[in-house]
Amino acid sequence: MAAQVTKEGITLKGSAEIVSEFFYFGINSILYQRGIYPAETFTRAQKYGLTLLVSTDPDLKNYLNTVVEQLKDWLYKCQVQKLVVVITSIDNNEILERWQFDIECDKSVKDDSIVREKSPKVIQEEIRSVIRQITATVTFLPLLETACAFDLLIYTDKDSEVPEKWEESGPQFVSNSEEVRLRFFTTTIHKVNSMVAYKKIDC
Amino acid sequence: MAQAGDEWELSKENVQPLRQGRAMSTLQEVLTQQDSASHSAIQQKKQAFELELRFYTGDDPLDVWDRYIKWAEQAFPQGGKESILSPLLERAVKIFHQEQKYYGDLRYLNICLKFARFCTEPVDLYSYLHSQGIGILHAPLYITWAEEYEARGNYKKADSIFQDGIQRRVEPLDKLETHHKQFQARVSRQIFQKISDGDDAEDPEVIEPQRTSLVDLKTKGKNKVKAPINRVGDAVKSRGLGLVAPSAPPQQVPSRSCFAVFDENSGLPGIGGMPAASVQPWAALPPARAKENEQKAGTWNSRKPRNGHHSSSSEPPQSVPSFTPYVDEMAEQQTVTPCKINPAVSSVLSARKPGKEEDPLQRLQSNPQGKEEMVMYCKNKVYAGVEEFSLEEIRAEIYMAKIRKKREEDLQASALRRLEMERQIEEMEKKLKGGCVINEGTAAEQPVPSGEPFRIYCDDENQSPERGISNTQSTRNSEAEDPSAASLPSSEILLVNENKLGSMVQSFTIFDETCEAGPDIGSQNCMPPAKRLSLAPVSGTTIKQDAPLPDSLEDLEPLSEDAIVTGSDRNKTLFADPEDTCDFMRAAQLASTPFHKTKEELEQSGTPGLERMPLREKTPVCEESYRQVVGPKKLSPILEASQEDTRTSVSSVSSTSGSTSLSTTKTLIIQEKLDLVSGVYEQALEEASVIVGSSELQRSLLEALPELLSSEAIIRESGQIPVMKDQEEVQLGSESYHLKGEIFLGENSKMYLEAPADCDPRGVRVAIKLDMRPVPWDFYIVQQLKERLDVDFKDSFVEPSNCYLFQDGCITLYKDVGVLSVQDLLQDPEAVLQHVTILFAYNLLSLVEKLHTAEIVLGDLRPETLLLDVGIFDLSPSIEMNNCFKLLDFSHSMDLRLCPTVTARAFPIAQTEYGQQMITAQTSPYQVDLLGIANLVHLMIFKKPLQVQQNDCTWEIVQEVPTLWNGSLWNTFFSEILNSSHGSPVEVLKGLKEKLAGIFDLCFGEICSYLIELETRT
Repeated sequence: MAAQVTKEGITLKGSAEIVSEFFYFGINSILYQRGIYPAETFTRAQKYGLTLLVSTDPDLKNYLNTVVEQLKDWLYKCQVQKLVVVITSIDNNEILERWQFDIECDKSVKDDSIVREKSPKVIQEEIRSVIRQITATVTFLPLLETACAFDLLIYTDKDSEVPEKWEESGPQFVSNSEEVRLRFFTTTIHKVNSMVAYKKIDC
Repeated sequence: MAQAGDEWELSKENVQPLRQGRAMSTLQEVLTQQDSASHSAIQQKKQAFELELRFYTGDDPLDVWDRYIKWAEQAFPQGGKESILSPLLERAVKIFHQEQKYYGDLRYLNICLKFARFCTEPVDLYSYLHSQGIGILHAPLYITWAEEYEARGNYKKADSIFQDGIQRRVEPLDKLETHHKQFQARVSRQIFQKISDGDDAEDPEVIEPQRTSLVDLKTKGKNKVKAPINRVGDAVKSRGLGLVAPSAPPQQVPSRSCFAVFDENSGLPGIGGMPAASVQPWAALPPARAKENEQKAGTWNSRKPRNGHHSSSSEPPQSVPSFTPYVDEMAEQQTVTPCKINPAVSSVLSARKPGKEEDPLQRLQSNPQGKEEMVMYCKNKVYAGVEEFSLEEIRAEIYMAKIRKKREEDLQASALRRLEMERQIEEMEKKLKGGCVINEGTAAEQPVPSGEPFRIYCDDENQSPERGISNTQSTRNSEAEDPSAASLPSSEILLVNENKLGSMVQSFTIFDETCEAGPDIGSQNCMPPAKRLSLAPVSGTTIKQDAPLPDSLEDLEPLSEDAIVTGSDRNKTLFADPEDTCDFMRAAQLASTPFHKTKEELEQSGTPGLERMPLREKTPVCEESYRQVVGPKKLSPILEASQEDTRTSVSSVSSTSGSTSLSTTKTLIIQEKLDLVSGVYEQALEEASVIVGSSELQRSLLEALPELLSSEAIIRESGQIPVMKDQEEVQLGSESYHLKGEIFLGENSKMYLEAPADCDPRGVRVAIKLDMRPVPWDFYIVQQLKERLDVDFKDSFVEPSNCYLFQDGCITLYKDVGVLSVQDLLQDPEAVLQHVTILFAYNLLSLVEKLHTAEIVLGDLRPETLLLDVGIFDLSPSIEMNNCFKLLDFSHSMDLRLCPTVTARAFPIAQTEYGQQMITAQTSPYQVDLLGIANLVHLMIFKKPLQVQQNDCTWEIVQEVPTLWNGSLWNTFFSEILNSSHGSPVEVLKGLKEKLAGIFDLCFGEICSYLIELETRT
């Protein structure tokens, strides 16, 4: 055990890697769980000690990869504040669900020279619990009856430049919503809080 | 790991997903409370809904159900047995399925659709809804219906359902169309997939041999022991097979036969056209589950034993069942289950034999349909919701609702009152400021006040400013005002205490009437001191109401207790065993009744009465009751005089000093008298005092209830009671009566049954009860009975039409009473037959039961005062035979609510032969009436008063019941009623009533014929 201690530190780069990877799998999970894409287009993948479903749709894969790459960059620069997955109905463009991941960056960490002590295993454990919760939300989320599309919003610092193919957008809140806070995980450099908002039922 | 607020995740497997999602707050609440044994909050909410269901008064009962169901969905995330959702939905669907107004209601449709999810055959329900026109203009019906067909693989039908919905232009149409498009997309994709995959790509799993579930594994083959393989058909819903014909029901295919692949292209000729969705007529709601096998609990003996030879004639005529046996399209002459073929399937799941199979149907058909059942309790309330409510709960809720309503009203009233007061104060202030600018001119504009004083001051209160000012300023400057105006200020003061106004005004009038001087109101009100005096007795009596026995008397009690104990030792005839400690108990009881002060004074001859005088002076009100108790009328004429004086002292306290001096003389007289009387006389007096006691007690009790005297029905006469003799005329009020049929009810009271001077042809007459005491006791008891019995009152009692209260007596007038009394019947030799006795005994029991529920003991049950009700002669089929009598006399009755300490010995029955034998100190006063019943029935049977003897601690009648009579019945009757001290009298009454009622029904015809005969005779 003592020999491993040196390996278990975490740097900014590693943290950005972990977090962006989490988003890749997290978004995939949401898309699968919420039935945004047909279930057939997903394939199983082992990650975090869980069997996760990852899309095989080439366009989607491509899109997600570019987003995640961009995100990784921003994470490294500690410029991201939030990542939001918005699920809208295709028919009437009504926003039905909003998955929000608040990212807290430790801006004191400027480069890879600083190594934080946190076991990757612990981080993985935390991520696993978040993804599990995403899976478990089917217990309370309403059935998405219509065909839906999803949108990714990333809140960055004001000074970061908008890359190509990105555009500025409003917050896209769910009207009359109920919010449920999910678990969080932290790499000690980046902390990710997750939350889902959905349409309140009339009762 | 588990954090607070993560319950939803921990039990995610136990939460059924809902189409519309779940409220996180409710979910968390429910899941956290789950562990605590009673989810009280949920139970409370549920109870609240259940109550609302029962007591909803609006015009949209569905609303409650809708909210209840929505709540239940959220509150029972696990579903399952604990969830009330399924029965709730079923109940809701059933309740409203005949309410046309909800057929177009989306809420009702949604409830039905939710219910369908709990059904084994939801399609049945959908087609039922469709045929009934429930929600046929809403898209959800078609969507769910089509989804169901799609799930079963019947795409053709699913499509036709969509088509049907689109044709009807249902709301929202675009939603339906989207669903339809999506459906078509799914189907076409699957077909495409299937074609591209080729036919040979049949589900590989299906081809694999499968074992039938729930079947024991019997070995097959001789050489090699091999577990058998029973292939079952395509039990799994054939999804993804493209356009396939409706899947056949699970069917067992013999293991040897090869799997028949269905060729979709050939098609089935039968299932070509449109589905016959609306063809099927539905008489009733389709069942949620196949319930044929649930046998309802029923009577055992009504069914014939199976073994006996079945003769078709003995079977009850089979009525047409209310339901339509629904024949499944696919069920083609499958009478014999193929299961029989396979011998391996035998012991565990045996097939039903065809003969047996008809049984549930038969049972349903033979269900008596025409039997009219009338539910005599609020069944709809008891079973309205999912849970059964007890009648008590319902009553409690009604009661609580009343209370709530009353409280609300009170609050409103008080708020109004406050507003009114504020307004008045404002007005007065304004007027004070404005001075006397507004004067009589405004009053003149108002309607002329009516003659009643009440009206006058009501109006004046609002409109005559001058008086208001003069009053509030309380300067009372005696300006030159006319006499009528002079009375106004005082009444205005009264109006401020609005609540007490009525009673005060009433007390005024009583007070004025009793006052022989008859002072005119105007002059009295003019004087402030007189007014204050008039209020004083009112406050005094309210104290007395609360505690009938004033506290100050208790100071004297220890002495009297002593006296009674010693006195009782001397009296051997009354007390069976003087050593018994219960004498002390009794003594304590007696001591608390004011009467015994008499005894105390009689015996303590040495005590100078003057010693206690100062005490009395302090509490004049108590003294009054005390003194009245002291003076039994027969003692001396001087005492009579003192009584009169007492009554004036009720009206004014100012005469206290006078009355004290009088009472001093009275005690002295008693002392003198005591010196004279011998010991024998003393004892006799004491004995008599037990009887007199009750009447004196009555008077003192009534004295505590002054509001009774203010009742309108009591007419006060100033003079002496008119002389009343048999066969003479008497003038009462404006009418004159011819007295006839005198009945002695005791030394103080008589009753006359008379026809009014102009003889009434209907055989109805007037009963006049004469009481030589100026106490309207009968009137009081009847009032109490009326109050306590409410509806039942009219059955057995007559309300006195008038009560004349004289100086020295009281006359109660009953109009419209029957001609015949029970005494008349008793004298009729042929009349008293067994069935008549049963009838009468039954009625007596119910009469006494009623009295006892009102906590009134009659004390003296006489055949003379029980009058046959006029109503029993009209023998309509619905006649109720338990209200034959009207009871008129209450001279010896006692209100146990007013005086709970009274003992059985205080009643006249204790003086009779059997009473002396049976009544002991422990006898409950209620038992007195049971003895009365026994005596009356005994009179009927044997024409003699009750004679009893004790045998092994049980009492029995001396004589044998006549041979013609039902001996066992009457023996048990007497043994129970005479030995009622073991159980509660009410229970005994009830038990006997039930017993008699059984026999009573049998001889109903005889009773009817007897009554007819009786009627013709009279």
